[in-house]
Amino acid sequence: MSAQTIMPKKLVLASICAIAMFQASASYAQQPTEIHLTYSKGQFQPSQVSAPADKPISFRIKNLDAKAMEFESTSLRVEKVVAGGSEGIVNVRALKPGRYEFYDDFNDKARGALTVQ
Amino acid sequence: MTVRYGRGRALALCAAAGFLSWGGAARADDASAWREIETKYIFGFTLGSGIGLEGEKEVTVESVGRFGKRDGHYSATETKYEFEFTPSQFIQVEFGALGSTHDIGGVTGLDDRSQIALGGAFAEFRYLAIERTSNNPLSVTLAVEPTVRRIDETGGERVRNFELETTVNADLELLRNRLYAGFNLLYEPEVTQIPLGDTQREATTGGSAALTFRIVSNVLVGGEVWYLRHYDAANLTVFTGDTVMLGPTLYIQFTPKMFMTAAWNTQVWGREVGNPAPFNLSEFQRNRVKLKFAYEF
Repeated sequence: MSAQTIMPKKLVLASICAIAMFQASASYAQQPTEIHLTYSKGQFQPSQVSAPADKPISFRIKNLDAKAMEFESTSLRVEKVVAGGSEGIVNVRALKPGRYEFYDDFNDKARGALTVQ
Repeated sequence: MTVRYGRGRALALCAAAGFLSWGGAARADDASAWREIETKYIFGFTLGSGIGLEGEKEVTVESVGRFGKRDGHYSATETKYEFEFTPSQFIQVEFGALGSTHDIGGVTGLDDRSQIALGGAFAEFRYLAIERTSNNPLSVTLAVEPTVRRIDETGGERVRNFELETTVNADLELLRNRLYAGFNLLYEPEVTQIPLGDTQREATTGGSAALTFRIVSNVLVGGEVWYLRHYDAANLTVFTGDTVMLGPTLYIQFTPKMFMTAAWNTQVWGREVGNPAPFNLSEFQRNRVKLKFAYEF
């Protein structure tokens, strides 16, 4: 294979990697919006929260129950187990406007939603 | 025999009753109250755009069986023993080993063979390019999967094979939490060195469309269609044949951390360059089946 055909392939690969890294790093470069949640008696408090668009978000989840819970969201693409009586931090990329549901993966009844606008 | 039949029947009835009661419990829910679903494995051979959750790890066993050639008997499977993880909210990485089996007899152009072997290794890198939101139902992921094989996927002989599967995996949520459409585009060049020293270059391209319906919160059923073209050159200059494969798909989420997916595709149309016989059974097979079990942690 000639150098002429190798170079464009390497350039394309390098560009894809650069775009991916830029997108990942750029979304965390800004100061995040902090959202405080408590988890008590198997429920999130508050269960409906909001945040501005295009800014990263940091969830601080305080689990007041004795049992562990798992903060999880398919649309936010995060999950974190928070042990009973402790606090967990979940960092989320800058989001586009929309509604993003979250839940406790260990308890189907514990649900909440983040509205980004 | 009667006792065995009775036990088997009782077990089948128990399984059916369990499945129905478990499905019935889920049916009582309203779809809008269901959790959003990860779309990667809900379309059968067609892959959805899902990349998992940041920090999530998964071990999976995925077997693909290919059955039926023009003559004789042909059965080949390839099993991926796979580890997946999602290091960021945009990227997913997978890697693992390949096991293969071949049971071939009387097939023109292939040696008779009955073997089980460790077939090779693979890795996959997935990048989420367009993400779904509540305002945008489309999600798109770009994926590359380099694979090295020491056993030929079709014939089972010892080779050195390098393959680079490149795909675009897109999906659309057509009805919230209920109906999904999936689309794949494929370009898969490969080079194979056989023991006598010859080198073969080939490529497969194609695309698929799939539709799947969430009948209860943890079960999705659907169908997919694939159109595949084969070339005896990586740059797509030597066309050798194409095919259309069609079949049903099934996805079951057993627990929040465990699921299975199954799919069956049968060749409904195909042609080989220089061969007027129906179907393309030279580069492709009459039927293929996929079965995957996964555990997340």
